Amino acid sequence: MKNWVKIALIAVVFIAVGVVWFGLHEFNLKHPDTSKAKPDFVVTASTLQKEFEDNEAAASSKYINKIIEVRGTIASVTPADSTHINVSLKTGSDISAVICTFKATGDHLKFLTGEEITLRGECSGFLMDVLLNNCATVINQK
Amino acid sequence: MKGLLLFTFFLNIILAANAQKFMTKNGFISFYSHTPMEDIKADNNQVVGVLDISTGEMVFQALIKSFHFDRALMEEHFNENYMESDKVPKSVFKGKITNLASVDFTKNGTYNVTVEGDLTIHDVTNKISTKGTIEVISGGINANSKFNIVPEDYKIVIPGVVRDKFDKSLAVTVTMKYTPIANK
Repeated sequence: MKNWVKIALIAVVFIAVGVVWFGLHEFNLKHPDTSKAKPDFVVTASTLQKEFEDNEAAASSKYINKIIEVRGTIASVTPADSTHINVSLKTGSDISAVICTFKATGDHLKFLTGEEITLRGECSGFLMDVLLNNCATVINQK
Repeated sequence: MKGLLLFTFFLNIILAANAQKFMTKNGFISFYSHTPMEDIKADNNQVVGVLDISTGEMVFQALIKSFHFDRALMEEHFNENYMESDKVPKSVFKGKITNLASVDFTKNGTYNVTVEGDLTIHDVTNKISTKGTIEVISGGINANSKFNIVPEDYKIVIPGVVRDKFDKSLAVTVTMKYTPIANK
């Protein structure tokens, strides 16, 4: 076999392996680990909520799909489905909070109403509240 | 004095009206479809729901981006290709319990109900009617329902290669745990 044919064959094999590897990697890609990811924004719960309340369109394009580190006081802890828990953070508004969904692992039994926490999550947008998903605690103070 | 009495009078009406309304911000909606390759499943734990027990009116509102899949890529395709959630970020259901008389909200228990209303997904509104249950418990009301929707009814275009892989309709599960608004 001529040398250039061999080289071409090897190149084709490498490219094929690369494509399959990339495909599988993309297919199996998990959500980012927000406990380790660098946040795109660091804000307080009150500031975040106020930005959405004042101008939802602007806040949406700024925050949605971004990783946000939020600091605030826990207003309530509510079990959602069997595998998730929602932690609501106080804001300047009586009716609108920042709601953060966590995977329910043992850690979350530690969440206490009135406690101040810092967490990171991916912003999904605004309904009555600012909604964060895939959350992880950064520092669970106290 | 007269002003104060009037104020108290209205305050009482508001409180009485609120006692009829129940709410959750932690409602659960999921959908599921089986394919030979893998199951397609997404959960949303951030659904806002309001139930007025005096009229039987129900409203749900959910963000499309709050639906989560195990696979990040599937979630990306769902948002970008199918639901176009940047353009249409919310889904809404507005409806009513049609057999409200068969629910005794003063007595704990599980009651079968039929709910009819308008479901808006992907900016397309369709009338739906579904069966469910209302569970009256101490300090709250739980609502459960399971029904099927067909993506094409909501102008959600799924390419043939992908479309052939899963069932014609998606199974939707709704679970709401309401608490009285007055206590919030």
